[in-house]
Amino acid sequence: MPPLKPAKSRRPASIWSAVSLIVSLFAVALTSGCGDNFSDLEVLPTESYMKKPSDFLGNTYTIRAQIDSQVKWEKGVGRILAVLPESGGARLPVFVPDAVGGNLHIGQRYEMRARIEAGGLIYVESLRKY
Amino acid sequence: MLKVCASISLGLVLGQITSHAQGYAPAAPAGSAPASAGMSAPVGGMFESNTFLEMASRAFDPSSDSMDFENGSFAWKGRTFNLTSQRAFRARFERFLLASPTEEEESYALLMNDVLQRLSVANDRSDDAILETWEMLFRAARFDTDGGNSTIVANQVFNAWRIRKEMRGTALTQRELADMRRHQQTVVANRALMLEKLKEKKQRESVRQTSEKEGNSEHTTFPTEGAFRALELAETEAKLIAMEGQAALTGIQAKLQMQSQIVAFLVQRRYQHALLLSGFYQLLFKGSQQQLEVGKGELKSFFPNTDMVFTVDMMAFVANEAITDVNKGVDAVNTAYAEDRAIIALERLQETFFLGEYMPELNAIPVEQRRMLLDLYRDMMEAVELAEAKDYNGVAQYAERIALIAKDFPLMRVLSSVETAKSMSDMAVFAASQYRNLGDIDKARAELQQAIDIWPSNPSIREFQQETTKLATAGSQGVQIFDDLYKRGDHRGIYDRRMDLGFALAEDTERQPLLMEVIEQVSTIDLLVAQSAEALKQGDPYVAWELLAEAAKFDPDDAPMNRARAELAPRVADFVVYLDRAQRQAAEAQHAGSLAGFLAAQDIYPASRMCREGIERQSSALMAHLSEQAEAAEE
Repeated sequence: MPPLKPAKSRRPASIWSAVSLIVSLFAVALTSGCGDNFSDLEVLPTESYMKKPSDFLGNTYTIRAQIDSQVKWEKGVGRILAVLPESGGARLPVFVPDAVGGNLHIGQRYEMRARIEAGGLIYVESLRKY
Repeated sequence: MLKVCASISLGLVLGQITSHAQGYAPAAPAGSAPASAGMSAPVGGMFESNTFLEMASRAFDPSSDSMDFENGSFAWKGRTFNLTSQRAFRARFERFLLASPTEEEESYALLMNDVLQRLSVANDRSDDAILETWEMLFRAARFDTDGGNSTIVANQVFNAWRIRKEMRGTALTQRELADMRRHQQTVVANRALMLEKLKEKKQRESVRQTSEKEGNSEHTTFPTEGAFRALELAETEAKLIAMEGQAALTGIQAKLQMQSQIVAFLVQRRYQHALLLSGFYQLLFKGSQQQLEVGKGELKSFFPNTDMVFTVDMMAFVANEAITDVNKGVDAVNTAYAEDRAIIALERLQETFFLGEYMPELNAIPVEQRRMLLDLYRDMMEAVELAEAKDYNGVAQYAERIALIAKDFPLMRVLSSVETAKSMSDMAVFAASQYRNLGDIDKARAELQQAIDIWPSNPSIREFQQETTKLATAGSQGVQIFDDLYKRGDHRGIYDRRMDLGFALAEDTERQPLLMEVIEQVSTIDLLVAQSAEALKQGDPYVAWELLAEAAKFDPDDAPMNRARAELAPRVADFVVYLDRAQRQAAEAQHAGSLAGFLAAQDIYPASRMCREGIERQSSALMAHLSEQAEAAEE
C-alpha cells in the first residue's frame, strides 16, 4: 500500500478566495467607471435645454438615446444625428465627429458623453451602445 | 399730368357719349370723323337692336299685311287705295272704336238700301218712279252719316236732266234755222238766175248802145242785192253749225261729269253712292255710252295690274264686291273675338274698317268689343313706340298688359327678346368697365356706345357714368394717396383703393409697377388666408398655420392675415412655440438650437414643410460651421 502524499502539496482555500475577491473587485472597478467617464455625468435635461440652449454651454452630460435619423453627414467632419432621448421629450440634434463614431445605424441605442458647445451644439465626445 | 389729362378726357368722352344718346348734344362735325370712328357701334350691337325692333314690329304692329303706311297704300284684291298717313288713319280708327251705333244710322242704312233697291233693273223704271227715287236722295242727304254725298248724286242727275231739256229746245231752234236756210238758199238761187239773165240781155244791148254811164249805174244795182242775200244765208248756216256743236258738247259734258263722280265715289270708298250714281247713269244714258272716258289716271292707279276697258258697269261691280267684303270682314272680326283671338280680330277689323269706313255694316260690331279692341290697339301702338325708343322695361310691362287682353299675343317671345337685348347691353357695359379699368379708353368708349345703342335707358350705364366720374375725380388725388400709403407700408390700404388708384396711375410709369406689385402681393395674401380658412374647415390647423406663415412673408403687418393667425394660434400653440423658438434662434445664428426647435416642431407635425425646410437650412449651416472649425483645427 503506497503511502499517502504529504499534505504540503495542497493549497489552502483561503488563497483561492482571496484571488477570487481581487478578480471580482477588478471587474467591478472596470464596469463601474474606473475604466470609463459616463457614470459620473448628469443626464442632459432636455426640456430645459430646448428652452434655452445657451444656458448649458460648456457643460458635459450623458445622453441615453436611440438614433432616429441622420440629418447631415460630411466626410472628415462628422454627422448630425436626430436622437430620441430615453428620458422622453422631443428629438435632439447631436453632432458625432468622425473620430468618435463608427458605424451608427438608425434604431441603435447609445449612451453618449456630450458637451454643449457654442450655439447649443450637443457635441458627442464618446459613445457606447447599451 | 398725363393721368389727369386722361381722366379728364375720359370724363368728357363719357359725357359726350351719354349726351349723344339722350339727344342733348349735336352730331359731331364731319371733320372729326377719325376721332369718332371708335365710337361707331359694333355690328353685334346693331344686329341685336335691329333684331329686337323687327320682333317688336311683328308682335306689336296691329296693322294687317295689306296696309302699307310707308307707301300710303291699302291693297285689296288687286286694287290699291290711298291709305293716307298712319296718324290720320289711327285717328279715324280710334274715333270709330269710340263711337256707338245710333238709331239715325240704322235709319240711314235702311233708306240707302231702299234707294238702291229702287234703282235695280228688276224694279219699276218709269219716269215717276225714277223721280220719286231721286227725291229720296234729298232725304238721305239730311243724315250726318251721308256727308252730303247723296246731294251730289241728286245734283248730277238733275244736271243731266236739265241738259237733256236744253237739248230738246236746241233741237227746235235748229229745225227753225234749217227752214230759214232752205228759204234763203232758194232766194239766193233765184237771185243768181235772174242776174245771169240780165247779164246776157245787157251784153246784147251794149253792142247797140254806147252810153257807158247809164249802163254802169244799172250794173251795180243787181250784184249788191245778191251779195246781201248770200250773206244772210251764210249767217244762218253758221248759227246752225254752232248750235249743233253746242248741243253735242253739252251732252258730252253731262256724261263726263257723271262718270267722273262715279270714279270719285269709288276711290273714296263711297260704294253705295257709286252704286246710286251708276244706277242713274244707266237710266239716263243709252248702252253705247257706258264706256268711261274720264278718270283713267285714277282708275289706272286703282287697278294697277290690268289693261281692261273701264265701264260704268265695272265700277258698280267693284262697289258691290267691296260691300260684300265688308260684310264678310265684320263677320270675321266678330268670330275671332268670340274665340279669344283678339289680335286677329284687331288686324281684320283694321282692314275691314278701311275698306268700309263709310258703310253702315260696320255697326254690326258691338260697342263693348270696340272698347276692348280700342284698349288693345292703344296698348299695342304704345308698345311699338316704346320698342322704337328701346325702353325694354316699358315694352315688357305693356306686353304683359296686352297678354291679359289678348290670349293669342306672343308674350314669351317678346319677353325673351327683351331679356336678350338687356343682357347684351349689360355685357357691353361690363366690358366697358373692364376696358376703362385697364386704361383702354377707346375700347371702353366703343363698348359703352354699343350698350347705349342696344338699351339707352340701361341703369348700368348711369352707374358706369357715376363710377367713371368718381374715378376721374379721384384720379387727380390718386398720386398723393398712393405715396402716403406706400410710405406707411399700408399695402392693404392701397389694395382697397386699387380701382381708383389704378385709374389714377394708369400712365404713371414710376408708380404703376409698384401698385401692381402691391396688388399682387395682397392678392396672394388673401389667397393664402382663404386657403388657410379652408384647411381649418377640413380639420388641419397646422396646414392652416403654415399657410398663414407663408402669407406673413409677404406682409407681416397685414391686418386680415394677422387676425386669422391670432384666431388660429391657440389651436397650434405647441407647434408655434417650437417653430418660433427655432426661427428666433436661427435669426441669432444659433443653428444647433434652431435645429433642435425645428426637430421638436416636426415631432408635433411631421408633414410640416416649414420644419423640413428649416431642418435642411439649419443643418447645412451647422455642418458648414463645423467644417470650418475642423479645417481650422487641422491647420
